[in-house]
Amino acid sequence: MGAYFTLIGFGPNGWGGQLAFATLMTLSVSASAFVASLVFGLLAAWAKIAGGRLAAVLADAYTTVFRGIPELLVVYLFYFGGSQVMTSIGRLLGHDGFLGLNGFMVGTFAVGIVSGAYQAEVIRGGYDAVPRGEIEAARAVGMGRLMMLRRVIGPRTLRFALPAIGNVWQQVLKESALISVAGLVEIMRQVHIGAGSTRLPFDFYVTGLFLYLLLTTVSGFLFRGAEVWTLRGERAA
Amino acid sequence: MRSFGYRGVLAALALAVGFALPSAQAKDWKKLTIATEGAYMPYNGHAPDGKLIGFEIDLAKELCARMKVQCEVIAQDWNGIIPGLTGGKYDAIMAGMSITAKRKEVIAFSRPYVTTPSTFAVPKGGALAGLPETGVRVSLDDKAAMAAEVAKLAPLLKGKVIGAQVSTIQADLLNTYFKGVATIRTYPTTEEHDLDLQAGRLDAALAATSYLMTTLAKSDGKLVLSGPLFTGGLLGAGVGVGLRKGDADLKAMFDSAINEMLKDGSMTKLTMEWFKSDISAPM
Repeated sequence: MGAYFTLIGFGPNGWGGQLAFATLMTLSVSASAFVASLVFGLLAAWAKIAGGRLAAVLADAYTTVFRGIPELLVVYLFYFGGSQVMTSIGRLLGHDGFLGLNGFMVGTFAVGIVSGAYQAEVIRGGYDAVPRGEIEAARAVGMGRLMMLRRVIGPRTLRFALPAIGNVWQQVLKESALISVAGLVEIMRQVHIGAGSTRLPFDFYVTGLFLYLLLTTVSGFLFRGAEVWTLRGERAA
Repeated sequence: MRSFGYRGVLAALALAVGFALPSAQAKDWKKLTIATEGAYMPYNGHAPDGKLIGFEIDLAKELCARMKVQCEVIAQDWNGIIPGLTGGKYDAIMAGMSITAKRKEVIAFSRPYVTTPSTFAVPKGGALAGLPETGVRVSLDDKAAMAAEVAKLAPLLKGKVIGAQVSTIQADLLNTYFKGVATIRTYPTTEEHDLDLQAGRLDAALAATSYLMTTLAKSDGKLVLSGPLFTGGLLGAGVGVGLRKGDADLKAMFDSAINEMLKDGSMTKLTMEWFKSDISAPM
């Protein structure tokens, strides 16, 4: 046991520093991807609910395609495919050599766009759950579109969608492991490096397990708190 | 659609050609980027402080000095290490990558720098310890030598139980040369045949020597290597530098630098240092 803590500790031969840095990397790439997914999700949900015919069709295509293909494929497509296209365009413009895409940006974008497709359905579902009477009442007292969005539709949709948005966050946190193929050293890549470099796979993969559990548990508490906050105006059952 | 005239077609063609030929034209190699996995010791790995270490890191340094190019070694996940090469993110792969026909469909390889021979691990002091020609290289490509070896080993292995990992080149070797002589048992992982070997359910296990070094180290001296070091033939051509198919000039540079190191004995020295045995490729 003592040997294990020396191995993952912060001593001169411990991997603690690398593991801590990787955990921060997982957290920051997940947070960025989650924000991206909210942006994509809100846009697509808006297009489905209030957009014109074309916008709705495009949003449907988006959610159907990106929920139907593996995320790893999307990461590969953007990271390797993107670099190839960039390099070819660069060559046409007279730049000789490789034009790479930043692993962090590509990873954030890839996980964000896939999770955004789920997010869109979650938000649309939350909106559909808002009783129509509340919206009619808001209209009846003469609220404008923006005020209605701010005071009624926004908060009420959030209240219904938040538990599922929490699920999407957990999914993003775990899928951030896929970005390791883009050369980003986050938890998954770091424990793999440690396992292969020391030939102690059990110690490192168990450590990875605890690091992911730590992140999901802490964020689970935060989302629980946020849910209670959205319920603050509701009558106790 | 008048506007999409011959100019449009030409532009589309130019784009298509640009995409179809992503690899660079012959260029003057001054700087190289080499990718490694960084998680496959002793070939390549990381130190706890995050620096790259291992046999191939030292080898890359030595080869680059001989080729007179500046090199940077970067770590890249094994998944996607080949697309990264063909996509141009780096120029070479040195990651313990075996030269196989399947990979050769996509990328080119330098000549092999190491071949990991396969041999038997047996309990120390057991019936199979100290088989004839322990530690001597036998190439499966040399039909006469191999036939002589099989004739020598067959009576000793008769009725014994030998393990190997399922669908590996080692299992193929046993099935090709010792089927009907010994009982061949296959396992999903190499760790499992190690356990059965230590428990006495196996008389020997056949695996790559580079792998067996760790097995031996973990066995507290209860296991030893025995019998010849098998190479070549169905065991594959060894480990080489992965390169883009278009970069024939770079392949020539690597080939001659590797040949130099094999000839002057520095490859032997380097493999002894990292693998505790000479696994340098045959000349």
